[in-house]
Amino acid sequence: MHLSRIPPGMRYYVGAQARLRRRVEDTAMSVFERCRYEEITTPSVDYYVLFEQGMGTTEAQRSFRFTDHDGRLLALRPDVTSSVARAAATLLAERPRPLRLCYAGPVFKQQSQSPAEWRRETTQLGCELIGSEGADADLEVLLVAAEILNRLGLSGNYCITINNVDVFNGILEQLSVEADVQEDIRRLVDSRALPELSLYSSGENKYRVLSQLVPLSGKRDVLDQAECLISNPRSKTALEQLRQLWRGLEANGLAQSFEIDLADVGGLDYYTGLSFKIFVNGAGSRIGRGGRYDGLISNFGRTEPAVGFVLNLDGLTEVLSEQPAE
Amino acid sequence: MITIAIAKGRMQDDALALLARAGVCFGSSSLRCLSSSDESGEHTAIFVKPADVPVYVEYGIADCGIVGRDILLESEADLLLPLDLGIAQCRLVVAGRSDGAQNRGMLRVATKYPVLTSDYFGKRGTPVEIIRLSGSVELAPALGLADVIVDLVETGRTLRENGLSVIDVITESSGRFVVNRASYQLKAKPITQLLNALNQAVSGVPA
Repeated sequence: MHLSRIPPGMRYYVGAQARLRRRVEDTAMSVFERCRYEEITTPSVDYYVLFEQGMGTTEAQRSFRFTDHDGRLLALRPDVTSSVARAAATLLAERPRPLRLCYAGPVFKQQSQSPAEWRRETTQLGCELIGSEGADADLEVLLVAAEILNRLGLSGNYCITINNVDVFNGILEQLSVEADVQEDIRRLVDSRALPELSLYSSGENKYRVLSQLVPLSGKRDVLDQAECLISNPRSKTALEQLRQLWRGLEANGLAQSFEIDLADVGGLDYYTGLSFKIFVNGAGSRIGRGGRYDGLISNFGRTEPAVGFVLNLDGLTEVLSEQPAE
Repeated sequence: MITIAIAKGRMQDDALALLARAGVCFGSSSLRCLSSSDESGEHTAIFVKPADVPVYVEYGIADCGIVGRDILLESEADLLLPLDLGIAQCRLVVAGRSDGAQNRGMLRVATKYPVLTSDYFGKRGTPVEIIRLSGSVELAPALGLADVIVDLVETGRTLRENGLSVIDVITESSGRFVVNRASYQLKAKPITQLLNALNQAVSGVPA
């Protein structure tokens, strides 16, 4: 075994790149601070069950795992949110709400979700707004994300796609099909696989709305088109919430940088309302994601709403290092 | 500027013809080149091995690509798959010796598609030993390397020539148009235009 070898998915930062990376981190943290988010540092090693509760089994299983001396399973944290949620329900339970927390810290995954996102160590810049529901809270975190990207000089070079997962959940509910069919449909809508979806709708009319939902990506008119397609109350409410959120984005002059994407149904088991993804020119995969997870903190014994996002510091550094210096 | 990764080989001519009908012409010189720009200068084609198309597109080096569904299923890449181009239609099948001869013991399967093969037999609860080959898979049963093969079949002639017949069809395959998730948002307008033009070309409406 050569000492020169580095494990796959790990890397160094040296000199100018390390400086750039620190500047990106400092920029994000200063925006969080200005928006009254308090920094929290969470343990790097924690019990595996925490992440299983916090992220779901599939995601948690991607982590590096090992055993403690009493035989309990530990993990190198694959995310920070799970630990923040536990702190909110326990350590910080008595603090007045809303609770605004932010962090910058490395997360580790042994297995990648997608080869293009394959880094086993990445640093997440993230924030959580806990104990606050409704469009105002959703808008607040979106504005924080946009502010960070603008401060990094990426204005005009990024796109945040927003969705409310209940638009799709309402449709799914109406179809009343079994769980494995639901999962199949979710996967097909998420990958815009219209040819496969049309096999469903050629059999039965009720599936047609799925194929009509897939192309609904764009600005406000997407919501008008969706309203003509959808009649169930759950989806209608979700569309109304999106409309309210879009008005907020317009009022802040940000409509240019945002898109509504009703077929983005990737994190359905996790998000309960707003879900969003952040794309930046020059990066082949998303640079951040976030949304509302009102079910998360109740896993730790306290029911309260929460919304937040993470940005990938390593991805941002890579994009910015390829841009001409200011 | 849109970069399109096109699978070399079987599908290449059909893909270029379809793109031409959709108004994106790469000219004839492109067949020997690794990359080529169209007349408008708004599209660049890169020609890569089929299995590499999902890789280029997932990393965003290519914004979109044209590749067989078999390759996509095998690669498990996280891409958008909005359109079936209907070109290079074929089937992914399990085939075995027409005389029915088999090893005793565990079934041995030779294939270029280990992921799909393990998924297929796994769903049936059949334990198999998968032997990964990179080509001429049809030879494996005759030479005694494997009992059956999982491979792509267009006409079935190669199978017959090697004394094999189809046991089961795993799935149908044809050329698919795939899109990178980030490009779908960041280059929404040109990608949607290309998607619509291809859609019309596939359904026979003149562009």
